[in-house]
Amino acid sequence: MTTTQDHLATDRSVRRYERIDDLLPDVDNPTPLVRAHTTNALELYLKLEWLNPFGSIKDRTAAYLLAGMDETGKLDQHELVEPSSGNTAIALAALAALRDTKLTVTIPDGVPEEKKILLRMLGAEVWATPDDLCPVDHPKDGAIALARSLAASEGGNKYAMPNQYENPDNVKAHYETTGPEIWRQTEGRVRVFLAGFGTCGTITGVGRFLKEQDPEIRVVAIEPQRGHRLPGLKSFAEASEPGILDRSVVDEVIRVDDEPAYAETKRIWREEGLMVGPSTGAIVHAANQLSDEGIAAGVSPDSGLKYTSYFAELLGDEGLPG
Amino acid sequence: MTDTTRGVEVAATLDCSGLLCPLPVYKAALELGKLETGQVLELICTDPGSLEDIPALARQRGDKLIAVEERGDAQAFWLEKGTTT
Repeated sequence: MTTTQDHLATDRSVRRYERIDDLLPDVDNPTPLVRAHTTNALELYLKLEWLNPFGSIKDRTAAYLLAGMDETGKLDQHELVEPSSGNTAIALAALAALRDTKLTVTIPDGVPEEKKILLRMLGAEVWATPDDLCPVDHPKDGAIALARSLAASEGGNKYAMPNQYENPDNVKAHYETTGPEIWRQTEGRVRVFLAGFGTCGTITGVGRFLKEQDPEIRVVAIEPQRGHRLPGLKSFAEASEPGILDRSVVDEVIRVDDEPAYAETKRIWREEGLMVGPSTGAIVHAANQLSDEGIAAGVSPDSGLKYTSYFAELLGDEGLPG
Repeated sequence: MTDTTRGVEVAATLDCSGLLCPLPVYKAALELGKLETGQVLELICTDPGSLEDIPALARQRGDKLIAVEERGDAQAFWLEKGTTT
């Protein structure tokens, strides 16, 4: 902590920051849009959310969730507990570390070890949970059920749960930042927006903002197959639909299976030098299915650096000497 | 420790009083994971959902539910760790 009065304060114009969370994005400090190749007439730009300070689109969500809880006093004398496939938890863990608040994360078993290690490095306690944790008559969201039970147990006095699946601040984060950034970065010419079904904060918040600017903008959601291996995305054939999803802003849902998503991810790395995570591959694959023309913006939620164990399986012996 | 009423040797006791499902299921699975095959876990719960969830957990994991006892608002379970988990 700097104590002198003439310290170097945050100055975004020269990219000098007092604290890491000063890098959190907004319309004056947007994440980049970078052109990606498509096989159709769409001019697709990927919004590289992995260039956020904690590495994913969830940095926005986590910051808004905590700000909302601060405003209502929900964080006073509470520890945090949150179900997450990793990215929200990583951002929450970093922000919690900055404020010396303890975080417990309930995380689906299948999430790659890299993410669990990152969380533990940030000081979080990690409870890995099978989706079918509840053997009787419960939805296939073990991590969510476990976090809820932690928050409700012991009189509900120990933990505060941001609950990204139900908290409108998740939508607000994207309505106030991601949406306006895309609108400004495309000079109001964006015709199609693509994002995955997950917590649905992104698709609802950005979709709502863009449709308020121009109702003709098409909002396309990507949904994975049952039992998929695309962390961050959810198939509502097997998981509960989040309360914050507003289907009225979604024009089309495209199902993307694991195989084409990973094939596209590999192509993006090798042909475009973009080291994206597998959900970005799903989004680009979906963009290629569209007959729209003009500018499209697709979310690239995170980088592939947290999925190297998945990529190792994908590659097999590829790239090793014969 | 021997449970004299049932004549079984209890290797570990887990008190999940006040915890709501699925927390007792999660904690019981963790505790059973630490035991050797044939060892018995005594589990105390207060969530009525446990009466369904704990027997289902035992079936799912291949453990043996030796006995269940309702004690007012609480339930006690004795689970013998199976060979496949």
